[in-house]
Amino acid sequence: MPSHDAHKGCNDFRQTSEATRRRWLGPSLTRRQVLGAGLGFGLSVYGARALPLTRMLEAAEAQAAAAPNAPVLVSVFLPGGCDLLNTIVPLNDFGRYADLRKHIRLDGAPALGGSGLGIHPALTTGARGGIKGLYEAGKVGLLPGIDYANPDLSHFHSRHFWETGLITQDAAPGWLGRWLDHHGSPDNALQGLSLDYSLSPVMRSGGAPVAAVYSPGEAKLYINGTWGKGLDQALAAWDRISASRPRGPGPAAAYGAARLAKQVGDRLAPYAKQNDRGPDPLAPPVPYPAGNELGKRLGRLAALISLPLGVRVATVDAKGEFDTHDNQPGDLDKALRSTGEALAAFQLDLETRGVADRVLTLVWSEFGRRPQDNDSMGTDHGAGGIAMVVGSRANAGVLSAYPSLSALDREENLQVTIDFRRVYASLIEQWLGTSAADVIPNAATFGRVQLVR
Amino acid sequence: MAARRPRRRTTRSGWTEAHVRRLFWRAGFGATPAEARRWAGRGRAATLRWVVDGGPGPQLRGAAPTVNGKPLDPANEYGHDVLWWLDRMVRSQRPLVEKMTLFWHDHLATADQDTPLMLAQNQTLRRGALGSFRGLLGAVTRDPAMQLFLSLADSDKAAPNENYARELMELFTLGSGYTERDVRQAARALTGWQSRYANDHFQGIRFRPEAHDAGIKRIFGRSGRFGTDAVLDLVVAHPKHAPFLVSKLWSFFVSEPPRRATVRGLASIYRRSGLRIKPVVRAILSHPSLYRALDAPDMVKAPVVLVAGGLRASGQGVHTDDWVWLLSNMGQTLFSPPSVAGWEWGPAWMSSNSMRARFDFANVMLNQPQLKVPDDSGNPRLAAADQLRRASGATGGPWVSGRAHAALMSLASGTYADLKTDDDQGRRNRATLLQRSLRHLLISGPDAQLH
Repeated sequence: MPSHDAHKGCNDFRQTSEATRRRWLGPSLTRRQVLGAGLGFGLSVYGARALPLTRMLEAAEAQAAAAPNAPVLVSVFLPGGCDLLNTIVPLNDFGRYADLRKHIRLDGAPALGGSGLGIHPALTTGARGGIKGLYEAGKVGLLPGIDYANPDLSHFHSRHFWETGLITQDAAPGWLGRWLDHHGSPDNALQGLSLDYSLSPVMRSGGAPVAAVYSPGEAKLYINGTWGKGLDQALAAWDRISASRPRGPGPAAAYGAARLAKQVGDRLAPYAKQNDRGPDPLAPPVPYPAGNELGKRLGRLAALISLPLGVRVATVDAKGEFDTHDNQPGDLDKALRSTGEALAAFQLDLETRGVADRVLTLVWSEFGRRPQDNDSMGTDHGAGGIAMVVGSRANAGVLSAYPSLSALDREENLQVTIDFRRVYASLIEQWLGTSAADVIPNAATFGRVQLVR
Repeated sequence: MAARRPRRRTTRSGWTEAHVRRLFWRAGFGATPAEARRWAGRGRAATLRWVVDGGPGPQLRGAAPTVNGKPLDPANEYGHDVLWWLDRMVRSQRPLVEKMTLFWHDHLATADQDTPLMLAQNQTLRRGALGSFRGLLGAVTRDPAMQLFLSLADSDKAAPNENYARELMELFTLGSGYTERDVRQAARALTGWQSRYANDHFQGIRFRPEAHDAGIKRIFGRSGRFGTDAVLDLVVAHPKHAPFLVSKLWSFFVSEPPRRATVRGLASIYRRSGLRIKPVVRAILSHPSLYRALDAPDMVKAPVVLVAGGLRASGQGVHTDDWVWLLSNMGQTLFSPPSVAGWEWGPAWMSSNSMRARFDFANVMLNQPQLKVPDDSGNPRLAAADQLRRASGATGGPWVSGRAHAALMSLASGTYADLKTDDDQGRRNRATLLQRSLRHLLISGPDAQLH
């Protein structure tokens, strides 16, 4: 097994490469607008209008039409390792909690009725009382103590395990990508959607088409400095070129990808903004928190789910600092607030659109944090984190045992009370309605937890 | 001109520009039209000698790049580590050395470590890229980034960490032919390396004899008080090692799997040379399988090969940091392989999303001075074939298939069909758009993803 060296403290974070670090700190890398300066953007949509949509409607609409009420599973990742103890506070063991959290104890966390637990106040804001409101309305199932045996406290390793559903350092498709390999369509890339510029490793498949789409406007293939009829002609040439079906795995992959990339852009073109100031065809029917990147993406996702595009699984990454080695009180408050408010708006949005009964969201993080706080007003990487399922049909309540604060493991970490693969297997069976065994190896050994009602 | 119909400049050995192009793509990052002409003229033996052994003169040609008006700062600026290596790939006069450094970065994959450590490791890989494998393995085993990544650092006799021992056998040297017990015993033999910190800053790795398990271990049926070097000697002497490594090298250069006899031959070259890498690579680059189907490339370009190759072909350097996010969206961030097993190569590079990123790549290329088509620069009187020739010339004469060539010709010849014959401004505009489109499609099309 990989080492536990990360226990040694914050060094683990400092030692990580800038690239990995960047992934937790949000997209501060400026993504230059490729959609050319000036002329391009507004005019390029003219091209989309003129294109015959029928051909690319086929795959997506066929899939959507075949199963208009097919359940959709959304994965929301909290990057960095979200702290359990200050997110869901063990009010019923507050003395011990206060001993462990000498510097960053959270006082006055609102109680979650009857559970003996409290919730971070930042999760009580937003639409209809935020996450706390949703919990009380029976739409949130909490999974404290979630992890796996002998947890690896490297962000890199642990994430990889969660992303793939496999405890391995080898490269592997993501667990949702593998589900699509078994149960998805062979020709609709929108069935597996990462609301991002690049594909989430969770969604990487072994062959099933999937797509990363930040917004419909940016999915469209567009050639810098061309527009109108000239662009139409060039894209028609792209279609003619990529229609070839050459032999051999390399050429077949290149040509297949060329067709799919075009399909995704064309399929979403009707939902692209006409120009920067024009109305957004995907504008949500309910208010989302302002300046909230997760909310913006979830709002788009809700709209795409409600359209006949055949979306079955989707991933979105939350923003904010969950890797709270220092300044945890401020950072965690901010990160939980923006995440909770976005999720609350998303749920209201889905209900307003009338699709809430077929959407379930899993919120997860790569690990938890050490019960004992450090001397920098923070916490280091630890075992036994927090995940939750959110949705109108989520099995509400506290669905796993809250780890004991007095019986820590030999590394002074929380005991793991539920394996994340038990949650994956349960979601696959109870929500997606297929056997878990073809996605999660040895699925039977992990047992099940009721996540859906 | 479109490279589809290369001029038949052949020597008596049947060595053509197409051969040069294939060799330069697989062994490096493509050939410029001038390089293809020059080396087709000089013949097979001279070309292979230059590629494998290198020529006189400096390793890097041309001026060091600046991005946003400043020189690269690979150790400190975000993404500059990627740009720094990309620049070497573009300007190197030893492209095979850079390509093999990439091979080792993938094969001996390390990630998630501080940039200065990764840059130091990169120099180690480059120095050993074509030398003795045992030497390279020894250096990488002692390399701080690797030691921290695979927990060899601070593995001590009280609790030997098996991580490095396992990957050493599974991924680096053998693939199969060893037992769990071999891994555990090798882990004991590899103990004793310790990381040093001062004020939370990493200071390096040192060997502490008191942390090393000096007892007797049994590995591959042999017993002894093995230490780090003894373990490395044992794994490279294992009968599975030579076939394992030469097969991996083969698949880096050639898309079809090697025949058993080929593996045996390469393994024998490898062993006879005293486990040197260069003779094996030379044999692979000389093998007829590498030159099969010159008119139908069948290997998917890795993202960094696409970008470096595109820049080389169009005669430009690294002058923007856009390559960083483009490479990331294409799925290959240098110094950050997805796992200890490296990247997945071949068809796995292609997806709707990575193709979309490769389309974006062409847009950024079109914005570079060498490829930019100025507004209102179009010439509607240029014949379709000349338009295509101009676009192909600007992009370095990339290969296109017959069908793609026909589609581009039909795009060029049909582009004014909807315009009135006296609409001069409209036709000039359209000619400008056509030139942009042709360049883009030559860089972004499915054929451009293959080499």
